[in-house]
Amino acid sequence: MKRISDRRCVVGKSVKYRGQRDVLTWRRIWKYRWAYLMLLPALLYFFVFRVSAIAGMKLAFYDYKIVGENVFVGWKYFRMLFETPAFWNIIRNTLLISSIKLFLLFPFPVMFALMLNELGRCRFGKIIQVISYMPHFLSWVIIAGIWIDAFSRGGIVTSIMGVMGVEYKNLLVSKNAIIPILTASELWRSIGWDSIIYLSAILGISGELYDAAAIDGAGRWKMVTNIILPVLVMPMMTVLILNVGFIMSAGLDQILNFSNDAVLSRVDILDTYVYRIGLVNVQYSFATAASLFKSVIGTVLILITNGISKKLTGSGAW
Amino acid sequence: MREKKSRRLRPEKVLIRLFLSVVALVIIIPILNILAKSISDPRRVPFMEGWQFWPEGVDFVNYKLIFSNRLVLRSFANSLFITAAGTALSLLVTGLAAYAMTRPGLPLKRLLMVFFIVMMIFEPSIIQEYFVVKNLGLLNNVWIMVLYNSVNVYYLVLMMRFFEQTPASLIEAAKIDGAGEFTVFLRIFLPLNKIVLMTVGMFYAVVRWNEYFRSSVFLQTRDGTVLQVFLRQFVVEGDSTTLAAYSNVDLTAINVSSLKAATIVIVMVPILAVYPLILKYYTGGVMAGGIKE
Repeated sequence: MKRISDRRCVVGKSVKYRGQRDVLTWRRIWKYRWAYLMLLPALLYFFVFRVSAIAGMKLAFYDYKIVGENVFVGWKYFRMLFETPAFWNIIRNTLLISSIKLFLLFPFPVMFALMLNELGRCRFGKIIQVISYMPHFLSWVIIAGIWIDAFSRGGIVTSIMGVMGVEYKNLLVSKNAIIPILTASELWRSIGWDSIIYLSAILGISGELYDAAAIDGAGRWKMVTNIILPVLVMPMMTVLILNVGFIMSAGLDQILNFSNDAVLSRVDILDTYVYRIGLVNVQYSFATAASLFKSVIGTVLILITNGISKKLTGSGAW
Repeated sequence: MREKKSRRLRPEKVLIRLFLSVVALVIIIPILNILAKSISDPRRVPFMEGWQFWPEGVDFVNYKLIFSNRLVLRSFANSLFITAAGTALSLLVTGLAAYAMTRPGLPLKRLLMVFFIVMMIFEPSIIQEYFVVKNLGLLNNVWIMVLYNSVNVYYLVLMMRFFEQTPASLIEAAKIDGAGEFTVFLRIFLPLNKIVLMTVGMFYAVVRWNEYFRSSVFLQTRDGTVLQVFLRQFVVEGDSTTLAAYSNVDLTAINVSSLKAATIVIVMVPILAVYPLILKYYTGGVMAGGIKE
């Protein structure tokens, strides 16, 4: 703690002692000691579980030794990582899967919200909402269980294929089908839930706007294009920009539960790679390097996209 | 939505209804099919079509089998315990932090906020998380899954947004009456924010019940695991040794597909049971807060 020194500096009109502010701060902190006590459990949690784990990621620059001190090796593991052909395949998979989910699936919740809105307030609309939000609350293990059943003999996909005269084939082990299946299951899970943000934006539109448009002779379609869509531009941009920040995460839980040996080369993403190389094959340093690479790029991306989103749309992730 | 008086069905309305019905059916039929398979007569399950949402005969043999398994009961109890204790802990820790962070004039507030945001966006590697848990001696201990995710920064920020709106005058009045800060928090502040607590509690409970990846990494013993990990082992990996080894039932006498369906239903039912509450608080919270997840 700083003592008040007798060196004086002039700030504006008032005379301040250097260090005086510090004393005041300490006094204020002491006054709020109960607040810090309340923050203590949360801070403790983060320091014990998160900060220590983040600090432990320096292992990427060390050789892991079971006995004795780890040896500093600099960028060795990063060089190894970038020279591993499999790593570039994994980066490609990660970016491909998350981009498909992000850009291809993006319009569906918007359309879903628009259609729900056209129904108006009725029981039918409520039922659609109740059903379509449900999958969001099911874990990927459950969803994978349901989908695996759907694609096996006696499942709905197989039954439909049977009616159409297509021969039975388990598509979950087909390299060409797995990414469309990941995309479809993501859509299945999130079309309802992701539409909420747009639906709430639409419901926020004042009724007077519609009335005014009706007086001007606008039909329903004109109202959608001239009143509703402009309102949706902001939330659409926010969602799109913020999701770009998470492009390095392609959905660990989903892929862990949908992947199998036959399709692994197509769906192996950074997170599954780190898990497999690190915890299964115990190449700790190498896997930590891959993980650190992901975290650093991910953090930078999130900071950038959040900044852009705040500038353009006025709302960010925090 | 404001509807014009005319009730006649225009073709585009019919199309919209048709399309939405298809979406809803695609979502609900596979779930109902699983439900139907799980309670059908196992001998007739192989003849069921994938879109059949009513059972063929009724037989609860799958459920009897699953609940006669000691390991399933253990995982079920573990999952319930982790969800209940974990949600309570998360609410307490997050609530205390959110209350402290929203007190006017709190010094170092900006610094703390930056810290929380860094915690939110910088992901530690699963390898180091594993080491931390191992060094704490909490590997294979269900308490680790209670402690893990005590605070989620998104929910902390959401709580802070709501706490900021609580009128300060009520708190000042209590303080004049001589109540201490903690008494004010517990007796006055929390009851005023019951809805927020329910909302954030729902967020936490759903996340905890559905947690799969960390549970599989931190809880590796067969009888110390949770329901999601067990479900994955049996249904996704198709490994029935756990079920067979601990049940006194001949697995060849039953239909594996309907047994799997029953296992899925058991993991799904707790979520479906609280679904009305989820819709009320969770969805309401998202609508009001305008946040994702």
